[in-house]
Amino acid sequence: MKDLKYLMYFEDLLQSAHNELIRQAKDEGRICAAFTCENLPEPLMNLPGMFSVRLFAPHTTSTDMASYYMTSLLCETSRALLERSIEGGFNYADCLIAADGCTMMNRAAENMALLHTMDEGKPEFFYEFMEIPLKADENGLELLKLQCRNHILGPLHEKYGIDVSDEAIRKAVEEHNHVCRLIREIGDFRREDDPRITGYEFHILTLATYVAPKYLLIDKLEETLEELKTRKPDGKKWRARVAVVGSEIDDTGMIKLIEDCDTYVCADRFCFGSMPGRDPIVIDEDSGEDIFTQVCRHYTMQGQCPRVMNMEKVYGRKQYINDIAKEYKADGIIYEQIKFCDPWAYERMMGSVMLRDNYGFPVLSVDRPYNIESGAGQMRTRVQAFVESIEIKKLQGGK
Amino acid sequence: MAFRKAKKIINPRRRKGEQTFGHLYPTDGKSKVLKRREWKGVKDTFYDYTRWLYIMSILAKFVAKPRNVKAMFRYRWMANYLAVPHMMDKFTLGLRDEPLRITHIAMNFVIKDIAGLMDDTFRGDRNTGNDEEFSRHCVLTDENGMTAFMMGFDETKAILREIPTMFVANLLTQHSAEHYIDVAQEYGLPGDVCPMPETELGLSIDDDLPVLGCCAVQINTTCDGSMMGNGLIAKRLDEEGIPTYQLAAPIRHREDDVQEYAAKEIKAAIKFTEEMSGEKWNWKRYFECADRVNNTTRNRLEWLDVNSTDYPQFVGAVFSLYNDTNYLGNCGRSPDFPPIDRKIMKLVHQGYKRKTMMAPEYRHRCIVWGVQPQYNIHMLTWMINCWGVLPLTDMLSMVNTRIIADEDTAENREQAYYDMGWLNENMIMRNRTHGGYKVLVDELWEFCEVMNADMVMMWEHMSCKALVGMHGMFEEQGRERGIHVVWVSHDLCDPRITSRQSIRDQFNQYMRTVLREEPLDPTIENIPDDTMW
Repeated sequence: MKDLKYLMYFEDLLQSAHNELIRQAKDEGRICAAFTCENLPEPLMNLPGMFSVRLFAPHTTSTDMASYYMTSLLCETSRALLERSIEGGFNYADCLIAADGCTMMNRAAENMALLHTMDEGKPEFFYEFMEIPLKADENGLELLKLQCRNHILGPLHEKYGIDVSDEAIRKAVEEHNHVCRLIREIGDFRREDDPRITGYEFHILTLATYVAPKYLLIDKLEETLEELKTRKPDGKKWRARVAVVGSEIDDTGMIKLIEDCDTYVCADRFCFGSMPGRDPIVIDEDSGEDIFTQVCRHYTMQGQCPRVMNMEKVYGRKQYINDIAKEYKADGIIYEQIKFCDPWAYERMMGSVMLRDNYGFPVLSVDRPYNIESGAGQMRTRVQAFVESIEIKKLQGGK
Repeated sequence: MAFRKAKKIINPRRRKGEQTFGHLYPTDGKSKVLKRREWKGVKDTFYDYTRWLYIMSILAKFVAKPRNVKAMFRYRWMANYLAVPHMMDKFTLGLRDEPLRITHIAMNFVIKDIAGLMDDTFRGDRNTGNDEEFSRHCVLTDENGMTAFMMGFDETKAILREIPTMFVANLLTQHSAEHYIDVAQEYGLPGDVCPMPETELGLSIDDDLPVLGCCAVQINTTCDGSMMGNGLIAKRLDEEGIPTYQLAAPIRHREDDVQEYAAKEIKAAIKFTEEMSGEKWNWKRYFECADRVNNTTRNRLEWLDVNSTDYPQFVGAVFSLYNDTNYLGNCGRSPDFPPIDRKIMKLVHQGYKRKTMMAPEYRHRCIVWGVQPQYNIHMLTWMINCWGVLPLTDMLSMVNTRIIADEDTAENREQAYYDMGWLNENMIMRNRTHGGYKVLVDELWEFCEVMNADMVMMWEHMSCKALVGMHGMFEEQGRERGIHVVWVSHDLCDPRITSRQSIRDQFNQYMRTVLREEPLDPTIENIPDDTMW
């Protein structure tokens, strides 16, 4: 297929945690809120005069310093973030808002705070740690509202004078939803039998919306969507289509590796993915709820994070995977997790068993390093073997 | 900064009976128990023997019931209970006088309590006793969850089925969890998660958990792993027709802005239990239990006060296990605990007045932090005997200090939900490993000051991500404060990863190479106990 006009631009953007759009937004005088978890309501950190960046650490090799503080037994994502933070890679941020979601990410953020990795020479800088609801229910919603008031809106207004009014939130939601609609519309092309966008390309675009100021991406995303409407697919014969499910994939090499095995990644249910992270927030003007409550409701009820423990959600997450896999015509599912990640270790186990036994999908269940380059050979072998098994199954008429 | 030095205290009284213990251990590489029991002098040996008989009487009463014998053949983990008397020997090695009696009183009561729990479990269990009427009045609860939400139920019993199957089994025999860990991993669980929830999950997958109860209440107890393992166990319970409720305990438990969430969760859990069991919540009973919880809190604080002096009496693994049972499993529900507390208190005061010591010499005052290796928790007794290092307290015992409302008034009935929420959030272990670094790191140094400790023995449970995530901070801040931090790595309940001796070796190495000390009893520096229960 003809290269997307901005693909290289987006690829370049993802080469560094401190990318050129962050610099541009900072030059414009905007406040940058760094955050660490998909459960945090993004629009509340994208109010007028500010923007959010979800921390990632591209091209991480050594995590020696972070391993001293957190040992080599913690998940590599949390160590990579701490390492990059100690190196000064996140010095652009004006605050860090962390969720006490998964333990390891929380510890990474706490180490950042104790080591003062991001606040040097910034008297207004603040670190906030939030409680995230453990269940998708009304009590959880009330908790999230209180937490957002106390740990996001309050400090942002107090320290940086950010407007946290309903009007400001509404504006942020509109911008957020615009980006989400663009991403989902682009992602919809993955349903096609002969898709006009690869999973890798889509991942690049989606990832950019997490790690760069959204408002600076809109024009290029709009142009890319228009370009895709007339893009001609190249008729490539993919050996299989898979949905990738699991923990953080902020390393573009992972999806590329899978697609290099002639396996099309048609759906992305992982942290930093578009499902459900780029679902627009549905605002019901007739509900009688204020905009702030509706944003919090969306994040409480729509999330697919494995740490949400009520059984409706536990079963619902597998149903969700089944639904998207069918909708996007997946032949199989790859459940992946960063090594040492506890929530996804259990979710991967239960999910892979249920998707196989209850829903009839072939499932590959793997753990992986943060930077896939350090384990590419092993992963490639696993994916190739999985695709072969799907092919054999197809030849045998699904048996 | 120079490292602190604890005052060396020499025991003026010579220990009666045996002075060294290495010769008690078998050398044939096969035996599971000591060659013989310890000679403690006439009086203490006789006392020890009567307590041994008492334990045997508890076991005899237990096996007298056919359903319990049936359970012995139905459940693989039941075989571990042959080692109960041996477990007591591990905890009493070298002890005389008041500490010996305190250990027996506390642990014998724990054994009795567990025997009662198992008896109840098998009575209702569909695979053994199958008393359906009784089962309808049982609620399955989490091993590490506070049973606070059960404090107002008279008839309905809380069944903590993971206590006998995992927690106690691993205290009794070190290899008890291995089979279940393997089962969970064969099912697809990675090997790098905490082996405790992993074992519990393995038990469930292997169909080796008793099945009973009108419902189950699961709690996100100690860690991500524990919380996540619940999902599959609940699915299994679903298949058995036992509905579950997930009771959420906020993680950042010291923050004011999570307490209302915790209270509402408790209220909902009580409502669920009422609906499932058909029993109404009884406020009179709740406040009676609350009074007992407060009594327990006050007693524990008093014991800790004594442990802050030169002559601690109630220390080590038994202190920890007794607190575990009293706070988590009991949570004020049993009227049998206060008399035991009183007996212990009397002996603690008596021992303190008499300046009773547990070793010929105390060289270091140590706070034991982190999560213990369940199969080697008696190492705290070994530390006293081998190196004269006194374990003043441990992380699991540094639990709630707040006095809760215990008078039945309209205002207190509302406050009670907050109190139960608070207890639930502050359950043992998670009240330190979660809730922000301050409760884990900063407060450790405060305890070191209060208890005049010069050493921290850090159980580094390698799969406990919350703990090892602060490794560097412990190192740096310990150095800054001049406190020896002795790292002892292990894998909680799997001795295949770190054997008992390799755990002791880490301690030995620090004592020899950093502190340049010689052991008080060199015969137990290396113990051939790989094959022992």
